[in-house]
Amino acid sequence: MSTMIDVRGPAAGPTAPAPRRRTARRHPFSASRLSKALVTLVLLLQVYPFFWLVTTSLRPAKDFAAGNPLAVTTHPILDNFARAFDNGDIPRFLLNSALITGVSDLLIVVLGMMGAYALQVIGFRFSRLVLGLFLLGIVVPVQVALVPLFINYTDVGLLDSYPSVILPLVGFALPMSIFLFMSFYTYVPKETYEAAALDGCGPYRLFWWITTPMSLGTVATVVFVNTIFIWNDFIFANTFILSTGKKTVPLGLQSYLGSMGSTDWTATFAAVSVTVTPLVLAFLVFNKAVVRGLSGTTRV
Amino acid sequence: MSRNGKSPGGGPRNRSLRHGNGGVLPGRNRRAAAVFLLPPLLVYLATVAFPIGESLFLSFFQWDGITRMKFIGLDNYRQLLTIDSTFRSAAVHSLVYLAVNLVIQLGGALLVANALTYLRRGQDTLRVLYLLPAVLSTVAIALLFQRVYSAEPEGVINQVLGAVGLGDLSRPWLSDVHTALVAVSVPEGWRFMGLYTVILLAGLLTVPREVEEAARLDGASETRIFFQIRLPHLRPVWLTTLVMATTYGLRGFDVPYLLTNGGPGVSTELLTTYMYKTAFTSTDYGYSSAISVFIVAECVVAVGIIVALLRRRGEALL
Repeated sequence: MSTMIDVRGPAAGPTAPAPRRRTARRHPFSASRLSKALVTLVLLLQVYPFFWLVTTSLRPAKDFAAGNPLAVTTHPILDNFARAFDNGDIPRFLLNSALITGVSDLLIVVLGMMGAYALQVIGFRFSRLVLGLFLLGIVVPVQVALVPLFINYTDVGLLDSYPSVILPLVGFALPMSIFLFMSFYTYVPKETYEAAALDGCGPYRLFWWITTPMSLGTVATVVFVNTIFIWNDFIFANTFILSTGKKTVPLGLQSYLGSMGSTDWTATFAAVSVTVTPLVLAFLVFNKAVVRGLSGTTRV
Repeated sequence: MSRNGKSPGGGPRNRSLRHGNGGVLPGRNRRAAAVFLLPPLLVYLATVAFPIGESLFLSFFQWDGITRMKFIGLDNYRQLLTIDSTFRSAAVHSLVYLAVNLVIQLGGALLVANALTYLRRGQDTLRVLYLLPAVLSTVAIALLFQRVYSAEPEGVINQVLGAVGLGDLSRPWLSDVHTALVAVSVPEGWRFMGLYTVILLAGLLTVPREVEEAARLDGASETRIFFQIRLPHLRPVWLTTLVMATTYGLRGFDVPYLLTNGGPGVSTELLTTYMYKTAFTSTDYGYSSAISVFIVAECVVAVGIIVALLRRRGEALL
C-alpha cells in the first residue's frame, strides 16, 4: 500500500487533472519494474540454453574443451556437423521420428474425435463409466505399461517394430484427446444437431459433415501438443526399439554419449541442434495455435 | 429417424432419455455409438487398461520372463513394504522430485505469469519464448544439463559461481550425494515452467479488470490484489494444473535415468527408475509389477487428494 502512495504523491502533487490521470494508470511503477526484472531473468534462463547449444555446435572442439564453456567463438566452423552426420545416421533418425509422429498424430486425432463423438454427442447408457475409464489414463504414469507390453509384444512378435511404439503412445494420448474434443463439442449448440437430424442427417454424416469441419481448431491443438510429446518420446522407444535402423531422434542422440568413448561434445551439440530444428521451426511458425490451445485447455 | 419427426420440440420423454445417456443427438443410436466408441476404446484397453490389470496380476508372481511363473501371493508386497530399503529411499526421492517440480512449475510459473500481466506489450512473444524448452527432448536436455552441472571440465554453474566469487560452492553437482537429487529434478521443472506460465497467465487474464481497478482505487496494494483477487479467481485453473503437474511429477523418469541412472549409490533413484531397472536389468517382472501397482495407487491417491481439496460441491471433475 505504501508504494502506491509513494508513487502517487509527488506526481499528483503540483498540478491538477492531467498528471493525476497518469498516476491512476493501471500498474504502479514498482510492481511493473519488479515484473520486468523477473520476466527478463526467466527469459534468459529459458532461451539462453538454445543460444548456447547453437554457438557450441559451431565452435572448434579444442576451443570448447580448453576454454570457457560460456564463451562465444569468433570463428564459427561447420566441422562438428560433418562429424555429427558421420557418427550417427541423423536423416534416418529424423525419418523414423517423423513416421512415428505422423501416424500417431493421425490416430490420436481420428480416434479421439470418434470417442468424443460417441461419448458427448451420441451418448449411451454407460457413457459416464467409460469416460471415467478413459480419465484414469490421464492419471496413470506410462511406465506401468512397459513390462506388460514388453511381454505381450514378445508373444505376438511386435517387439522392435514401429507399431510397438505407436500403439502405447496413442493409447496414453487418447484420454486427453477425447477430453479436448468433448469439451469442444459442448460448445456446439444442441439445435445444430437437432436441425441436421430433422433434415434426415444420420449420425455418420453428422460426424463427417458437421462435427469434424467445425473442430479443426481443436485438431490443431491436439496435433501440436502431441507432436511435441511423441517426437521427444524416450521411454517407449528405448524399451521397445532394439535395432539401429528403427531408432528415433532421442535414441539416436543418446548413442552420441556412448559411441565415441569420451564424448565428442561439439559434435553432440551439433547433432542436438540439427534434430531440434524441425520441431522448433514448426513451433515458431504455429506458435499462436499452440498458445491458444494451451490457454484454452483450462477453460473449465 | 421417425422419432425425430414426431417430437421436433423435444418432448419430455425424449429429453429424459437424452438425459439418461448423456448425448445431445435426438433419438437412440446404439449402433452408431458402438461404431464410434469401439475403435478408440479397444486401442485404449489394449495399451493402457489391460496392461494395468496385467501388472496387478503379475505382482502376485515371481517371474523372470523365461522360467515358469511361480505364484507367491503377497510376498512381493511384503518385501517391498517391510524389507526393501532401496524402495523406501526411492519413494522419498520421488516425493522430493515432485516437490522440486511443483515449486518450479507452479510457484515459479505463477510468479512469472503474474509479472507478465504488468507488461504493456511483448506478452505474446514472451509466452512463445518461455515455451521453447518444452520443445526439447529429454535426451537433449540431459546432454545440455550434463554440461551445466559438470565440474571437470568446468560446467556452466561452477563457472558462474567462480565468476561471482563463490568458487567455494562449486562442486560436481551430479556426483555429489547432497546435490544430485535436486540437480536431476530441476531440468524437468525448467522444461515445463513455460507451459504452466502460459496456462496460468490465461487464467489471470480472465480476472475482471473492473474488480482490480476498484481495489486499486480503494488503495489495495498489488500484493493484496494478488492474494485476495487473483489467486482465488484462479482456483479452477489450479485444479487442472495441479493434477497435470503432480501426475507428470510422479511419472518423472527420463532426466534422472539419463543423467545419473539412480546414482551415486541410490541417491537419485526414483520409484520409476527403480521399477525400470528391476524389470529390464534384473528381469524380475513380478517385483517390478508390484512397484508399478504402488505407483498407480500413489497417483490415484494424489489426484484424489487434490480433487477433494480443491473441488467445490457439485462441480464437475476437470
